[in-house]
Amino acid sequence: MIKIFFISVLLFTISAFPQTDRSQQVEEETSWVKWGKADYRYEKPNEFRHREYSFDTESVSGFIAKSTANGYWYFISDLDGDNCPYRPSCSAFFVQASKETNIVQGTLMFFDRFTRDYNIYKRHEHYPRVKDGHYYDPVSLYTLDESKIDYIPPSVTVTK
Amino acid sequence: MSILIKKITTLRNMNFVINRKYFTATLLFISCSSFAQNSFDTQFNFANTLYSDENYFDTVTELKRLLFFDDNSEYNYEANLLIGKSYKQGAKFSDAIRYLTLAEINAENIDELYETRIEIIRINILRRTTRRAFKLLDSLEADERFTDWSDKIKYWRGWAYMFADDWVQAAQTFAEIDTNHVLKRLAEEVDDDLYSVSFAKTISYIIPGAGQIYTGEYISGLLSLGWNVLWGYLTIKAFIAERIFDGIVIANFLWLRFYRGNLQNAENFAKEKNMVISNKALNYLQFGYDGLKP
Amino acid sequence: MKIVFLFFLLCITAVQNAQTGNVDFNSPDNIKKFADYLFCDKDYLRAAIEYERLADINRSDIIEFKIALSYSYINDYYSAIQKFSGIIKSSVYFNEAKLEEMKINFLNNDFAGLRSYFKNSFITEVDKYQTEGEKLFNFSYLFTDDALPSKDEFLSPFDFNEKEKISSFYDWKNEPPYKDGTLAGIMSAVIPGSGKIYVGEIGDGIVAFITTTVFAFIAYDNFKAGHTTRAWIWTSVAALFYAGNVYGSVAAAQVHNAKITFEFNEGLNVYLNKKNYYITKYEFCD
Repeated sequence: MIKIFFISVLLFTISAFPQTDRSQQVEEETSWVKWGKADYRYEKPNEFRHREYSFDTESVSGFIAKSTANGYWYFISDLDGDNCPYRPSCSAFFVQASKETNIVQGTLMFFDRFTRDYNIYKRHEHYPRVKDGHYYDPVSLYTLDESKIDYIPPSVTVTK
Repeated sequence: MSILIKKITTLRNMNFVINRKYFTATLLFISCSSFAQNSFDTQFNFANTLYSDENYFDTVTELKRLLFFDDNSEYNYEANLLIGKSYKQGAKFSDAIRYLTLAEINAENIDELYETRIEIIRINILRRTTRRAFKLLDSLEADERFTDWSDKIKYWRGWAYMFADDWVQAAQTFAEIDTNHVLKRLAEEVDDDLYSVSFAKTISYIIPGAGQIYTGEYISGLLSLGWNVLWGYLTIKAFIAERIFDGIVIANFLWLRFYRGNLQNAENFAKEKNMVISNKALNYLQFGYDGLKP
Repeated sequence: MKIVFLFFLLCITAVQNAQTGNVDFNSPDNIKKFADYLFCDKDYLRAAIEYERLADINRSDIIEFKIALSYSYINDYYSAIQKFSGIIKSSVYFNEAKLEEMKINFLNNDFAGLRSYFKNSFITEVDKYQTEGEKLFNFSYLFTDDALPSKDEFLSPFDFNEKEKISSFYDWKNEPPYKDGTLAGIMSAVIPGSGKIYVGEIGDGIVAFITTTVFAFIAYDNFKAGHTTRAWIWTSVAALFYAGNVYGSVAAAQVHNAKITFEFNEGLNVYLNKKNYYITKYEFCD
């Protein structure tokens, strides 16, 4: 009974800390061009995440991966909250990885990403951030094609 | 008769001579005056023309040129004010505030001081540093020199509230100017349409999915409710069957996850719908509203 | 008569006032003064535009050079190169222009272009800054994967007080402390996660070890308990985590190598910036 109590405390402690952490950074741009009237809008930009449900794939394996991902997103991921600290999210990572390589390599990349997802130790020293505070972890780093690796240091905020 | 004619003629001649003198003198004065309009005035007018033509980069260049040669600092206020306004048009707000602050320092009377301070406030509203805008508005309101402008200050305070998404306060502020103010009515309408984020979260705590249904996301709400019911049922079933470990695992990795997700979704849906509503109002304010804008 | 006299007096006063505020903003002299002010105020784009308003006849050597410098400071490297290469040999700033061209090749990451320019133009045309050019020429090898010259040849143009630092750069480039991806993969195949620890990703390695072993244990436990179907499911999950860990170790080695190369290049850039690319600082704004 005591063991169960301690295990449950441990499990709930882990769950109590959601894997997302947000931070906002403000950026100022300088540009050396002859500027004119800016098209400035009062409206706030919509920074809420919206899934890309399209089937824009060229291969069968890509189609399979996207179908799986769409189903997972609609019935599960959109309902269990934002649990992935990275962008692209793990499921989106799987889709992109399968698209860029193949379904087998994409699956391996996905399981590797899933493992890294559970390492909460000193993420800020390894990954750069995107604007909404998630960590930036693109597929291009893990395709085993060195020419595609565009290393970005952790101090940078990536704007896409 | 001839004497009379002579007198009239003499008078006429005198008049003619006097009129000619006046005419010549006036002509001479006008010529001198047009020559006397100095090149600084011309340069400033040129910059103004560029500003009217929306050629803001060149406006800044010409005003900087004017200031560089203006050893007597006669144009410090006007030039810095117009440079600030040009940067504002280019959405370069930090630069705009810098030059408007210089204009403020060189303001020579209360009207000029008010104009620069209000411009700075308007820029703070535009770039959504509304806390700063409120601070500046507070200092204007507290300053007795600006008592005559209190309605205008309230007007910009209302705008600051709208940009800070506080439509209730905005409506109250505009009501202090005029109980039938068009922006007061707009702010009230927006506030009526907004969803309550705290309410959405609270009802989702009690009934998973309720918050999402409240915000109009029916399918998401029903699916969320379904998942929570399923995992809740399995957890309780496991505990009843004394499969404690299974119960803890299901509760922790599944039920809690979907329950937390339900709360997140309730909050996010409410916030996103509110953002759409307030953006619609902001869009109207920018393109449909005829009054003064930031 | 009195009125005319009065008007005349007023006119003289007005004209006198006008003459004190009457500046020809567009005279070549005043354009130059204003452009100099903009240059020293670091408003380089405006400075370049102003200088270029001057007719050729009014452009001295220093102005032509400042135009080119302004473009280089605003990162308009194409215009800067055009302007620098347009500076003729008789110009006082010809040598400086050639050295600036080499610097722009650096900033543009055009190291092949830099080396070709140095060999074909710089050496033959320039009277001064041969050593500085040679330093930049040698430095370019640190940014590319081309074969390095011998160490002595590489270090020869550098001053004594910087030889140690340059030597450390050379040694790094010659034998970069890369991690071997194949070795990382093999290590992770033997002990899950060890390959990642070898690469330096200790946290990832520990998590990879835990996930693989936990799922493997669950599979074993289910086989032992006779729950064959469940056991095979857990076995598949464990196998996928295991394979992912091996793959991830190889990928981690590549990312690690890219990271240390990036940091090395950043270090080179910081060093070159501190040295101002071996270009003497100009005193145009004292």
